[in-house]
Amino acid sequence: MATATASKSTYGTSKKTKGQILVDWITTTDHKKIGYLYLITSFAYFLIGGVMALVIRAQLAAPGLEIVQTKEQYNQLFTMHGTIMLLMFATPLFAAFANILMPIQIGAPDVAFPRLNAIAYWFYFFGSFVAVAGFFTPQGAASFGWFAYAPLSNTTFSPGLGGDLWVFGLALSGFGTIMGGVNFITTILTMRAPGMTMFRLPIFTWNTLVTSILVIMCFPPFAAALFALGADRRFDAHIFDPANGGPMLWQHLFWFFGHPEVYILALPFFGIVSEIFPVFSRKPIFGYKTLVYATIAIAALSMTVWAHHMYVTGSVLLPFFAFTTMLIAIPTGVKVFNWIGTLWKGSVTFETPMLYSLGFLTTFIFGGLTGVILASPALDFHLSDSYFVVAHFHYVVFGTVVFAMFAGIYFWYPKMTGKMLNERLGKIQFWLLFLGFHTTFLIQHWLGVIGMPRRYATYLPEDGFTWMNQVSTVGAALLGLSIIPFLWNVYITARKGEKTTLNDPWGYGRSLEWATGTPFPRHNFTSIPVVRSESPAFDLNHPEATGSVMHTAGKKKD
Amino acid sequence: MLKKRGLKWAVLPASAAVMLLLSGCSQQEFSRGFLPGVPGVTNHTDQITGLWTTSWIVLWGIGLIAWGLMFYAIIVYRRRKGETGLPPQLRYNNPIETLFTVVPLIITIAFFAYTARDMAAIEEPNPNPDVTISVIAKQWSWDFNYVDGNVYDSGVQSQFAGKEGSLDALPTLYLPVNKSVKIDLSARDVIHSFWVVDFLYKKDMFPGRTNHMYFTPQVEGTYKGKCAELCGEYHSMMLFNVKVVSQAEYDSHLAALAAAGNVGQLDNRYDRNQNLPGDNPEIRG
Repeated sequence: MATATASKSTYGTSKKTKGQILVDWITTTDHKKIGYLYLITSFAYFLIGGVMALVIRAQLAAPGLEIVQTKEQYNQLFTMHGTIMLLMFATPLFAAFANILMPIQIGAPDVAFPRLNAIAYWFYFFGSFVAVAGFFTPQGAASFGWFAYAPLSNTTFSPGLGGDLWVFGLALSGFGTIMGGVNFITTILTMRAPGMTMFRLPIFTWNTLVTSILVIMCFPPFAAALFALGADRRFDAHIFDPANGGPMLWQHLFWFFGHPEVYILALPFFGIVSEIFPVFSRKPIFGYKTLVYATIAIAALSMTVWAHHMYVTGSVLLPFFAFTTMLIAIPTGVKVFNWIGTLWKGSVTFETPMLYSLGFLTTFIFGGLTGVILASPALDFHLSDSYFVVAHFHYVVFGTVVFAMFAGIYFWYPKMTGKMLNERLGKIQFWLLFLGFHTTFLIQHWLGVIGMPRRYATYLPEDGFTWMNQVSTVGAALLGLSIIPFLWNVYITARKGEKTTLNDPWGYGRSLEWATGTPFPRHNFTSIPVVRSESPAFDLNHPEATGSVMHTAGKKKD
Repeated sequence: MLKKRGLKWAVLPASAAVMLLLSGCSQQEFSRGFLPGVPGVTNHTDQITGLWTTSWIVLWGIGLIAWGLMFYAIIVYRRRKGETGLPPQLRYNNPIETLFTVVPLIITIAFFAYTARDMAAIEEPNPNPDVTISVIAKQWSWDFNYVDGNVYDSGVQSQFAGKEGSLDALPTLYLPVNKSVKIDLSARDVIHSFWVVDFLYKKDMFPGRTNHMYFTPQVEGTYKGKCAELCGEYHSMMLFNVKVVSQAEYDSHLAALAAAGNVGQLDNRYDRNQNLPGDNPEIRG
């Protein structure tokens, strides 16, 4: 008792030891800290997966190279690159932003199940570690591609512990994701502040809700499929046996998860840019309800399109999946035009978060166009499993996740740490990343069209792929370099960054996180926030907004 | 003033267009939308090329509108020095939102209609093909069975390491020109995919199942073929050639195979999937 009192009285006045800090982090149930854990871990995996991508690009820089000793190692690299980027970087990055922001945006002190939240993170942490640990086994990590098609993924064709670790590690990590989804849904439905009606939720929170619903619909079948594959591998269960149609069964189960998964990656990041465009255009989001309905429509349709990954299998109903896939273009287009509508007649400035959001929009539009092409089976017969597909999904996924991630980090960094990241370094990083990205991936569309299949460790000089691959490799190097200014930025900001205590350092924030302290107070708010519209912080800081006009040095402008 | 500024912004797209024109892509390549091959390689490729180029023209139109509006907005509505206050807080505009929902819906339905027409034509089975071939994929090469001539050609894995000149050694499938062809596709280990690049078509090959493709090659020549589904370590070396030749050359190739003793068919007896309940040949075929 005495020691408890003593430690309580010194709390906050004396510096904590390193051990105390460590124990504090690993035992935390605070949604913000768990969010930071997700953010740091997933960013670390982003760097690991990125280094793998650089090795892949180096291997393809000329025909016949042996940057990696064996083609088996090359297969391990792209398998783990895909697995890491999708399931250890992008998906947990959703959990990171949702954890940090969503409770604050709805005016809640924490999530509904803080301890479930913590265990979800640790499932992800250990599950991912197990899956990647294949690299430390004698035969290396899994090498059957991130979609693990049967029968290549069984022990006849892929023996070795790496495959087993991949299967069970992802299953463990998947349970973490499901728990996260349950938690977010419950929190949004039950813990909104007074006045925070569903149609006053920030778009990011709406997208978190819809994404979480997708998670609890598509991750459980995936976990089940993984356990079935694990049973095949360890206990000869014959579930995905070719003798009884197993290869198609796996493809259906996998893509029933795999396609909604793409939208699990995309929707939260659509949410992030939907928060950023209004702030730097000094206007509310254009067509709030249309945007919400478009998100719901995308999510609903995304559960009906999985077999468009299987057009060339010869055993799916092509017209049905072609039509549903093409329909997705409509709500997606609605979103794009709503974002442009937000910029329209605004007062636009180009701080780093806005630059990244515009970089996202520029990139995403092209990814959407190539997606429409791929939706047509008549065209996909040629393009399926080629570099055109690789280019398409990097435009969509990198364009969305990575651009919006940096946008979100720069945007909310002051709220998370109390310091602003350096704007000049941020802009240098943006332009390096933007140029590097487009140099790497734009050319890959042509590579695919002229016939380069994906997952090829090498190619013939006669194929005519060489110069395009070299352009792509140079772009990848530039892309890799662009991370250095960011890491430097984080480092110098921690050392001597500009401190801010303003509630809203950007000046035009709209959702509730801009109406509370910087950095966030322990329980998010010191009093119950007032919510009278979908822009509570803006109402508070800009009472002049009703019937507003802009002035240019005294001149009136409509 | 505004005109001058407008000119400045027009330089970028204009110079990009000039660069594209100067970069040496020929008229022919451009009009085919950079698709490989020549017109009329098979009876399907012109239809696919038409859908491809038309789709891209429409999509570039939509893309240029979207990019154009975005760049227009951020240039024209940028916050200038000395500006204070807020722009009008417009929240929605129902007519415009309806417009950008309905117009894409109409375009989508049209796109679907053309797609449905073309894919039905490409996938249309031909019950009486002139030539039937059975291709069996294996890690990491191809067996070609000429069903009508009852001969086969068993491929071995290609070897190459960055030097030119390995194309001729690849397993080669011969097809007679202007004869309708049906290819039966299956595999005896994992999933593979049969892709002849210039034919603009591929189809997966499964163990324990047979897929089909139907086409008529129309231009003599040698075409590159590749396995397009990850099938293990040497996936990238699982290449082949397709030679479209005259009927006489085709017949002499089949005769040469027969003379070499390659008579009969290589079926899936050598399937490597083990411990299967289907090891019964009645099921496995």
